[in-house]
Amino acid sequence: MEINEIIESGLMETYVMGIATEDEVAKVLSLKKEYPAFKDALEQLELDMELMAQSMGVEPPVGTLAKIEHEINEIQRQNQAVQTAFNSEYSDDRSHHENKREKYIEVESESNQMRVNKAWKWVFIAIFVLGKIFLACAIYFYLENRQVKEQIETLKIELQQKIR
Amino acid sequence: MALSCPSFSVTVQTSMFKAASNNLSAEPKNLRWFYDQYAPMLLGYINGIVQDPQQSEHHLVAILTSFVKDVVILPEKNRLNIWLELRQYAQSKLTLYTAKDQQLNLNQSVNNGRLDLLDELQKKIFCAVYYHGKSIHYLAATIGYDESEIRNQLKLSIDKMRRASGN
Repeated sequence: MEINEIIESGLMETYVMGIATEDEVAKVLSLKKEYPAFKDALEQLELDMELMAQSMGVEPPVGTLAKIEHEINEIQRQNQAVQTAFNSEYSDDRSHHENKREKYIEVESESNQMRVNKAWKWVFIAIFVLGKIFLACAIYFYLENRQVKEQIETLKIELQQKIR
Repeated sequence: MALSCPSFSVTVQTSMFKAASNNLSAEPKNLRWFYDQYAPMLLGYINGIVQDPQQSEHHLVAILTSFVKDVVILPEKNRLNIWLELRQYAQSKLTLYTAKDQQLNLNQSVNNGRLDLLDELQKKIFCAVYYHGKSIHYLAATIGYDESEIRNQLKLSIDKMRRASGN
């Protein structure tokens, strides 16, 4: 399709009216770069759309500009108030931090406490319980052993008496 | 500095605090220039959508204020895009009205400009696109013509109005 046919296709009009699809917008931008005639035609159309809007314009009532200026000043004042509050808060924070540094002497010390993972709790409980079981077993076998030794001694004595 | 001379390019940015405060530092004479240039066009456009003069004036103040706040206008390139940018910005702020699937009946308070040159179908298509931002696809489905015909009628209506202006 020749460039004049593209210009007459209505593509520029949909673009300028703001209803072009993404593909159409990409095509317009590409044609604008590639063809000076297309670029000129598009700029002329944009200018004509502005002139058309001027012909459909309505003069705003007196005092509208003052209202807009008031609104803008109000927003500007609020922004400045926010900025001032932020700045003073920031400077307060800094001065507070500096005062704190002046009042106190920094001391370096090492902690004598050890940090242990919580998972180790169950390991320590298991070791404690096993320790108790071993202790009980040791006492039991000690007593058992002592009793057996006493019985052996008794049997030896009885045996010697029988031999005599 | 924002709004400083008649040659501008418009860059829409998010309303970051810094950008907004910089933009609002526009000198009163620059704001006046911008207002004189675009406020009547914008009010005419808003009237076409809202169709209530009092409401339109209220929206004009709100839209121009937020446009100056949200849009950074740099003294570069050309000013061709300002009106298109402003019109689309206004349309996005008036979605309460533009979203309505209503018949557009222009009343006496609206300056029709050269709309009277158009036939009923062209006027319907042009107004639906220009004021309400309706797509070609949507219009084809609602009016009952194919998309190429809608596109053609839109072009014809714009051509008619351009020719009447001597272009």
